[in-house]
Amino acid sequence: MTAIRASRPAVSRPTVARIAGSLVALALLAGCATPPPADDKEAVAEWEQVNDPLEPMNRAVFDFNQAADKYAIKPAAEGYRAVVPKFGRDRIHDVLSNLNSPLIFANDVLQGEVDRAMQTLFRAFMNSSVGILGFIDVATPAGIPGHEEDFGQTLAVWGVGEGPYLMLPIFGPSNPRDAVGMAAEWFADPFDMYVGHMGYEWISWTRAGMSGLDKRESLIDSLDEIQRTSLDFYASLRSLYRQHRSSEIKNGRGGAKVPPTGLIGQAGPADQISQKAQ
Amino acid sequence: MVLAPGLFAATAGEQDPRAFVTQLAAKVMETMTIKGVGDSERAARFRAQFTADVDLPDIGRFVLGRYWRGATPEQQQEFLKAFEDIMVLTWSSRFKDYGGDLRHAVTNVTADGERVVVVESKVDRERQQPIQLQWRLKQTDGGFKVVDLVVEGSSMAITYRSEYASVIQSNGGKVDGLLAAMHSKINELQAAPPQTN
Repeated sequence: MTAIRASRPAVSRPTVARIAGSLVALALLAGCATPPPADDKEAVAEWEQVNDPLEPMNRAVFDFNQAADKYAIKPAAEGYRAVVPKFGRDRIHDVLSNLNSPLIFANDVLQGEVDRAMQTLFRAFMNSSVGILGFIDVATPAGIPGHEEDFGQTLAVWGVGEGPYLMLPIFGPSNPRDAVGMAAEWFADPFDMYVGHMGYEWISWTRAGMSGLDKRESLIDSLDEIQRTSLDFYASLRSLYRQHRSSEIKNGRGGAKVPPTGLIGQAGPADQISQKAQ
Repeated sequence: MVLAPGLFAATAGEQDPRAFVTQLAAKVMETMTIKGVGDSERAARFRAQFTADVDLPDIGRFVLGRYWRGATPEQQQEFLKAFEDIMVLTWSSRFKDYGGDLRHAVTNVTADGERVVVVESKVDRERQQPIQLQWRLKQTDGGFKVVDLVVEGSSMAITYRSEYASVIQSNGGKVDGLLAAMHSKINELQAAPPQTN
């Protein structure tokens, strides 16, 4: 299981359509979860909070992802960690982050986040020049930390709902909105478009592969720990992903800039706890 | 609403939420890294601190949610005991991972209603964005108690609640199914402590 960031190189549209088509077929085969009876209000509320009507299909995809992760993706990430020293991995991470800046900048602008857009712009200028083509992130020590942003978050800020929870093959936890955002970035990345235009598509593929390795390597310890301590790894990840996404969309600010989703929309646990305790 | 820490000091006896969180992290870190202490002694000390500062019964009731009311008193007690075991086994290893070098700093204190204080803090990491934490503290007669920890926007209480509800669902809505899963997880965690890197 892994959650590789968006921005893939150009893949022909028919391929994407075929993948989407086979996913729909898989959904029909696997069937949907059975909603609780309408008169059980608490069960219905829980069903809506969990937001996972495709759970049987999602769990099947998750099992596939777990197998792919166990036998291919995680060993590759562990190999990467073993072979490339930390200094080298940091340099690769910095280059990949710098290459993401055009899309992050675009999303900052599309969300009307002027300050964050300026941060992204300054970072890209500093890191691409003083930082030698992005190899050294000089902007962070200089007081301009980076941030993530993607088109799924932009759509959310524009008011697009997340839709049902969706476990994507290989890419991991998602939902229709974030999947559309990921696909849009796949086609819209300026760097990939440029090298593709020059006929160097292998550069895009290398970048995509390295992004995946970088991401999975950074998650080795956290994912191991969550899997080790959870009773239901799938349900744990589902809750963590949806909460984290909701927080990312609000850029860590508590304010309700987007309609609250699922569990986050409920009163915080501490409120309910203190009410009970009173 | 942002309030100066001094404001809370007046209402909570001698306690300042900022100091409470800072000391909690430091105490736990010291327990997990102190030399010359056996593993069982270390685990016992961690459990004592953890249960003193974290309101596990309240969190446990929230985590079980609507199934709490349907459970018998025996099931409730068994659940709280197992939940404490899982929390202690889980969180002791998470603190251990920092290896004593915890660059943890409180950044903000806000009030959420009359009885809950939210302390925001961050853990700085080498060449990575800091981890953002929110500690939700409840005022009790015995001082503050932690009722939730929000890591990078994900509430641990909500995550446990969602996960445990899923386990109950897959066991036909029976709390006993959850209790069995919890006991086998406790055995698993005790049998194979995490590798120290």
